[in-house]
Amino acid sequence: MDSQQRDRMLQAMMEELADRGYSEASVERARSVAGVSETDFAAEFADKDECLFAAYDQLTDQVVARASAECDRGEPWPERVRTGLESLLRGMAEQPGMAMALTRAFPGIRPSAYERYVELLSRFVPFMIEGREYSEVDEELPGEVELLAVGAAEAIIFGEVDAGRAERLPKMLPEILFSVLVPFMGPERAAEEMRTASMSI
Amino acid sequence: MPKGWALPAETERGRAVLALVELWAENGYAGLSVTEIAARAGMSRERFEGLFDSVEAAAVTANEAPLAAVVEIVADLYSADRSEAESYAVAVVGILRLMTANPAYCYLTFIGGRQMAPSRVHEVFESGHQFLVAMLERLWAASPLSDQPARVGVAALGAAEAVVRREIVAGRYEALPALAPDLVYGSMVPFLGQAEAMRLAELSRRHLEEDLEA
Repeated sequence: MDSQQRDRMLQAMMEELADRGYSEASVERARSVAGVSETDFAAEFADKDECLFAAYDQLTDQVVARASAECDRGEPWPERVRTGLESLLRGMAEQPGMAMALTRAFPGIRPSAYERYVELLSRFVPFMIEGREYSEVDEELPGEVELLAVGAAEAIIFGEVDAGRAERLPKMLPEILFSVLVPFMGPERAAEEMRTASMSI
Repeated sequence: MPKGWALPAETERGRAVLALVELWAENGYAGLSVTEIAARAGMSRERFEGLFDSVEAAAVTANEAPLAAVVEIVADLYSADRSEAESYAVAVVGILRLMTANPAYCYLTFIGGRQMAPSRVHEVFESGHQFLVAMLERLWAASPLSDQPARVGVAALGAAEAVVRREIVAGRYEALPALAPDLVYGSMVPFLGQAEAMRLAELSRRHLEEDLEA
């Protein structure tokens, strides 16, 4: 299987999960969509689960790359967080099935799958570290402040995706941004950023 | 102090539910079967079916037990001598200590009920979640913000939960109580600001130390 075939297979398998759920997701249908023979599949993956886990890893790489690409500019940190979030939310709204697979369907398969989801969240932590420079208090912020910020955004996103409202996520950018910035900047300054973001929607 | 996060293990129902939550934490919900749960609980399949109509019914009971424990903790620790926010900061320590003592239930409450449960069980998780969000949102009364975002309670609780879930996945249950100050800070800062959230985090740290000494 060449890399293009593999990518197609992983994409088709994740679409199966998104459309039908874990128990109904079919390797045969995904192979048919991707144009991959049974022999080639067997040479690459031990079973459906191995393919699904690889597909999820590919999806999470794409999600992190999409968000971080927008964060990699010379703007102040709060603006980079806003642009990264904007890109992430837009992507999830454009593909609600994938958003469901990313946050709910795959992590819910079993504990080892959920571990992948926790790893995904931890990949956003490095983007948050610079936020410490924006604190209003003299004391050092708590050691977990970066994951607290990521978790705040995840909670809102998860709730909307779980309720079948992923397409609304871009409109929720201001309040998600507030929740990410507030542990670093405090409520007043985070609210200023929220108001600025509201004007740009 | 509250009786516990779990149903009493000395009862048949308690044993059956404990077997369910342990297997759930090991394999996920989809892998659960009456035969396996009954075997883990040391009872016959028929006896399990006499106690619960289905795996789902047992899962609902399993999810209700921690919810009852949290309500009990909150009722115990709210005091006229403390502000509402101070009571919350102290209650977080109590909740984390109970979680440490009941790892399988801890997995169920924070991960299983949210991610892996069928809708009837998920609704119980949501009820507990909404209870905690509502508690947090009472803190808006002390906020100077006039344009309060709608889902800050959800985000504030989610901030703390993300840290807890990472520890659960890593199997570091015994480390949970020490995280109380960080969790208090993260869940209160949107409402009360950084300086007050830091003070409350310190209060929870002192309470944790006193609790350990006692």
